[in-house]
Amino acid sequence: MPIYEALSDKLTVVLDVGSAYTKFGFSGEYAPRCIIRSEVRCKKTNTIRRIIDYENQKDLYDLLVDFVHVLYFKYALFSPKDKPIVVVESLLCPTLFRETLAKVLFEHYEISMLLMLPSHLVGLSTLGAETALVLDVGYFEAVAIPVCHGLPVIHAWQALPLGSQIIHNNLRALLNSDNTGINNLPESVIEDIKVRCCFVTKQKRAAQLSVAKPEITFAPEVKYPIGGSEIITVSGKVREKVYEILYDEDNDHLCLSTMLLDAITKVDIHLRNKLAENILLIGGTVMVPGFKARLKEELHKQLKHDRYKKLKISSFKFHTPPCKENYTAWLGGAIYGATELLSMKALTREKYFKENRLPDWPNMRDNFRTNN
Amino acid sequence: MAHVVGPEVVKYACTCGLLKSISSLYFCRYCCQLRCGFCVCHEVDSHFCGKCCENLPSSEARLKKNRCGNCYICPSCQQELSTRIGSKGPSNPEDPKSTPKKMYYLSCLYCRWSSRDVGIPDQSAATGGWPDRENVNANRLQEIIEMYKAMVLAEKQQKEKDKKKQRGKYLSYTDRTGVTAAALRKRIGLPVDIQHSLLKAKPKEPEPAIAKEDVEDLPEELLTKPVNLTEVTTIEQRLLQIDLQPTTVEKLFPVHKQLSIKRSLRCRSCEHNVSKPEYNPNSVKFKIQLFAYYHVPEIRIVTVEPLRAGRPSELIIKFTNPTQHQTTITILSLVLSGDENEVKEETGDQPSLPQEKQPPSLSSQPSSLLSLSSRQPSITIKPRPVSQEVNADVAIPSSKVILPPRDDAAEYDDSGDTHNIQDDPKLVVWRKSNKAFVKLLVTPKQGLALNTEIVAGFTMQHIYTNTIATTVENREPDKHDHNIRVFLTLGNLVGFD
Repeated sequence: MPIYEALSDKLTVVLDVGSAYTKFGFSGEYAPRCIIRSEVRCKKTNTIRRIIDYENQKDLYDLLVDFVHVLYFKYALFSPKDKPIVVVESLLCPTLFRETLAKVLFEHYEISMLLMLPSHLVGLSTLGAETALVLDVGYFEAVAIPVCHGLPVIHAWQALPLGSQIIHNNLRALLNSDNTGINNLPESVIEDIKVRCCFVTKQKRAAQLSVAKPEITFAPEVKYPIGGSEIITVSGKVREKVYEILYDEDNDHLCLSTMLLDAITKVDIHLRNKLAENILLIGGTVMVPGFKARLKEELHKQLKHDRYKKLKISSFKFHTPPCKENYTAWLGGAIYGATELLSMKALTREKYFKENRLPDWPNMRDNFRTNN
Repeated sequence: MAHVVGPEVVKYACTCGLLKSISSLYFCRYCCQLRCGFCVCHEVDSHFCGKCCENLPSSEARLKKNRCGNCYICPSCQQELSTRIGSKGPSNPEDPKSTPKKMYYLSCLYCRWSSRDVGIPDQSAATGGWPDRENVNANRLQEIIEMYKAMVLAEKQQKEKDKKKQRGKYLSYTDRTGVTAAALRKRIGLPVDIQHSLLKAKPKEPEPAIAKEDVEDLPEELLTKPVNLTEVTTIEQRLLQIDLQPTTVEKLFPVHKQLSIKRSLRCRSCEHNVSKPEYNPNSVKFKIQLFAYYHVPEIRIVTVEPLRAGRPSELIIKFTNPTQHQTTITILSLVLSGDENEVKEETGDQPSLPQEKQPPSLSSQPSSLLSLSSRQPSITIKPRPVSQEVNADVAIPSSKVILPPRDDAAEYDDSGDTHNIQDDPKLVVWRKSNKAFVKLLVTPKQGLALNTEIVAGFTMQHIYTNTIATTVENREPDKHDHNIRVFLTLGNLVGFD
């Protein structure tokens, strides 16, 4: 019975728990089944709580138990018991979080196998390429890690707290000057204003934003209704200025563009040009209109500075993944999960309970050289 | 049922250490323990569509990606879409008498979105044939997946070959089986008959993606044209169509409705079901329902005197016996840590490995079909200590309360109770059929601030009559003493008058 055999294939769940949104689907598919907010309803207080707002390990355990329950019984619609799972995680994911997640999956949900994949590396697999500079701009932070010949160069990692959280805070502050009652707005409304009204402006216009008498006319303002009774004004200046925080250098002269260049500086001299010509942007924040174009302008601007002149980079090239950027890392996990890698490299339940730990790259026990 | 027993002022400590109201607890008859949604194993029983109530086998549900083939939800407001009839001219334009041709379109009754808004042509059949869109990158992604599959497979085969080679170094089969062909070739100096690794068929690699220098620019119209918010999609609308994520409303397409499931719950320590629904999605009944509400005496607060720090107040609670057997309730003092130690000895610090557990005997399984599959026994999780703090003392009465069995007919019988039970009048205030009001004295602890929420606790011991026929000879039903820790939220502390 060929049909039966095709169905009896083990369905492998691929999970990418982000700070803001969680991507959930099955291996070998081209898009996640769902992208939902990483939050659960707390039964005690009957409020919505985000997973990242956990207080301690016990609290995180309970939050993740509820969250994984929703994922399996509302979206996957099968029992996780004795089934494998692929988890896509950032290389900079807190140890507490990944270990608690593994504990929830193994102890509470009794999964059979767990395969943890680094998001920067697997995101690259959507391109079929092996060398690229991967920049992931998420909710909390932007992380750039170069991947050379299929290996993430961890010592060249760059991370800055430039993500949608800082944009939301910035937008709230900017709106506050024009309107009243902004402080009480929930973050979901701020996010909606950001998504529907704001964009990344051009470099020339950005220079005019801080000038007292700008020579440009700002984009038209938007009247945004709140709850059907109130209307707040999102001025053109705010719409253009919100994302500037990603490109303005901070006190250490660091911003999104210097992150990429610093990461390139830290890798081998022969790979620098190749990395500059293979840049992959992933994460939900990079989907905003104008993001890529502006990042390119900024990169060229930074090249003229003394500190990056030695790089001798002539051009920057960007990859277009065959999917939307906010689930590129998930898609990479789905591609890896479709292969035999699961049976070869995954951590089994027996091994987990025997060793009672999760392999991790900073741990020297997992970093030995294999003589192949 | 939550609203019947709510607000949750009486909470029972589940075996796992969580506090729940009686309506969200289960009682495993085989272990004689309370279970709750947290400490049972959830299993998917059947898939169905919540709109058309169609029951789908799990394989079909998997094929359809857990979505109903016929029902759609609105891409704008996520409510269910209904099919509407819009007539579109007569079926035969030359004959004016011919009946008008019926055409169907999808419409949302909540937000007035319709499939005509986005230019989906009306369909001639009511059940659909609505166009489904394919992922534009499907071909490319399929190629990449195949490439990675082949690559990993090649790596795996190489590894296995290496293993074989190594084994060959130490083990010789020639002694036992005579000279093998490979060994013979080696001996006479011919090259070993292994293909060169470069000559082997390598997995075909699709060309890697090529990065481009020019990137999509900021659309100029964003700078000049005013934004019409009703035309820009929200993030929820975008995430409903994950592979497209449209930014404008004219690209919203109807979405297949997500299927729902019926769940059965299984006790993790004895592998028996504590709850199993009927298969039919229209039925709200259960095949197995071991809810605590039907097995454990229910406690409700009747009255409580104003609570003052250090002063005893009178508390009247009602016990109801839900079972068909007489039970005796003894109120014992609360032991918060005792149970915990007991369990620790059993399971140790680490959760026990599945191998250590005896597989459940199949003969006692109520649903043997499920358990016959390769189901591994569950891991027992160490119960956690109860997190609730108790700030009032309950005076423990010395006598017991007898509760007669539940008798539905007695509810309508005004002639009075026929039970002749000698009660301690200090303890039992009132009783009728299977219910009894019990008076307790509660003393909030000294030194509590005003308006502190007072929580009192005690251990309720009741005699549970197990009706599972264990053996043929043993006709007498099993009687167990079963202890449950109960926590009562009595209200806030008031000041002295």
